[in-house]
Amino acid sequence: MTKKIFTLLLMASAWFFMGWAQNSYIPYKTYDGEHKNELSGYVMGGNNVVAGRFGGLEASYTRHLTSRWHVGGDVQMQFGKQLFSIDVQGGYRLPVKYGNISFDGKIMYNYYHKYGFHEMAYNLSATWESAYVDFRIGESLVHYHKRDVIMGWGYTEPPLFTFGFGANIRHRNNPWNLGLFFRNYDDFYYENWNINWGIRWYAKVKEQWNLFGEFNIRPAGSMSQLASKYEGSVKLGLKYKW
Amino acid sequence: MKAKYIIIASAMVLVALTQTSCEKVSPIGVLMAGTAVEDRVKMSELYYKEYLMDAQNNIIVQPDEGGGREYSFLVGGDSHVTTDPGRMDEMFDIGLENNDLLYCHLGDIADTKPEYYIVLDSLLREAKERYVNKYYVKNDLGRWSKKNDPYDEFGYDYNDIKFPFFPVVGNHDLTHNGWALWSNIFHSSFYEFDVICGYNENGGRIRDHFIFLDTASGTLGQRQVELIEEGLLDGENDYRYTFVFSHTNIFLPSHLQFASTFPREEAYFLLNQFDKWGVSAIFCGHVHKWDERFFNNVYYVTLDSMSERNSPDPGDYLVRVKVYDGGGYDIERVHMSYVAPKK
Repeated sequence: MTKKIFTLLLMASAWFFMGWAQNSYIPYKTYDGEHKNELSGYVMGGNNVVAGRFGGLEASYTRHLTSRWHVGGDVQMQFGKQLFSIDVQGGYRLPVKYGNISFDGKIMYNYYHKYGFHEMAYNLSATWESAYVDFRIGESLVHYHKRDVIMGWGYTEPPLFTFGFGANIRHRNNPWNLGLFFRNYDDFYYENWNINWGIRWYAKVKEQWNLFGEFNIRPAGSMSQLASKYEGSVKLGLKYKW
Repeated sequence: MKAKYIIIASAMVLVALTQTSCEKVSPIGVLMAGTAVEDRVKMSELYYKEYLMDAQNNIIVQPDEGGGREYSFLVGGDSHVTTDPGRMDEMFDIGLENNDLLYCHLGDIADTKPEYYIVLDSLLREAKERYVNKYYVKNDLGRWSKKNDPYDEFGYDYNDIKFPFFPVVGNHDLTHNGWALWSNIFHSSFYEFDVICGYNENGGRIRDHFIFLDTASGTLGQRQVELIEEGLLDGENDYRYTFVFSHTNIFLPSHLQFASTFPREEAYFLLNQFDKWGVSAIFCGHVHKWDERFFNNVYYVTLDSMSERNSPDPGDYLVRVKVYDGGGYDIERVHMSYVAPKK
């Protein structure tokens, strides 16, 4: 009974913080209040236990409707995994004394061609971002079905608790930064209790141009106390804002 | 200055994680990538190819008095044996009483301490003794002949009789270097065999396929994936039914189970592979919570823990699968009554 009440309270808290839009790389997305558009893309590469070596391309666009509201979309193609992903997202940013709290939402479609699976994911989350650390909680709903099965016949997972934590070595307003992150999601997937972690960085190249990147270790079996090698990957990206 | 504090605090947390552990939890294992599954699979591959990939390991169902070849098998999991093996003992009692053909265990058989494995080993020896006494008789040569096989006059040496207990490995079998204990008794963490049930109308053997996967680490690991893709576990490919056993579960019973299941790609790989194998039913453990569902024409069952510590009250912790002579099978839950004495 206590467990149920705790879970209900947790879910209620997560849903209370509902809103729109996100990217895994939180400091890099922080809005400076001056530009309206952001266009970014990254190349990725890595090795996965099941799919072997993989590489891919990603592109994102964000439109800041006001200084508080924004919408956007992302698309990626991964070779090796034979994975195609697309999402739309949006969010509301609420400035607070120690940083920002943003309320985000995302609708995402993944097609895992190699294994013949279609996947839809829906996420609502709230993020608190301060000068040095950021923390995210939310809920994700994931539905998938086999390629040759009629749409709608598949499996919807119980709500997945989404969480993320990041810390930077410098104040987020600096032109370059380096940080650590822990989370159970990435740009195009939400997991249950498999916690991926790694190093992230960004650097301003020119006024409107930023470089960014991540080194991501994604073990399997985290909560079985046997975290095992599952995937390692690198992202290297460029962002242009105007 | 603040950054310095963050770095110092992070370093302290990391040091604390590496230095702390309790009997069942290794905090550092939450984040650190290891290659334990690869090591296990490499060892198991050698053992499997040398000793298990042999027709002699197939199990033949002897005809009953009416000539039928029905059989049943028991499935249980997450027994977490410590000093009290009461529930495991009860599983064997139930199986012997019902004449179940074999016993399948879904991992986390014992918590990883040498003394618990000594308890387990003794229990398995006693269970084998009871099994042999029930189904074999000592012949004039001083060997053991099958009671239901009139042609088995020569019999077997006691040590050559295999007690039909087939476990998969679970994560709690492996923490604190438990693989050394587990593999000393069970040897291979993945394997397959056939249960042969006579002949069909065309003279071909009627076979049911049993596949046991090493999923204890929440991933099959690269080598096991390669072996599956190479068809190592495919067998004869003309099976009537295929049953798969895995410690880690595919589907979450609810959002309350704080245990890792397979990462995305691997879950889809497995679901696709089960389709290729033509699997009838899959039995999983790990989360200590009953769940059953059909997905893509495959029946998935996740069992409760049968451990008297995790499930102290009597309950339906086992599953029996009855496979009928003319085809068809039923899955029923089996009640366990053992309650640990109060200390």
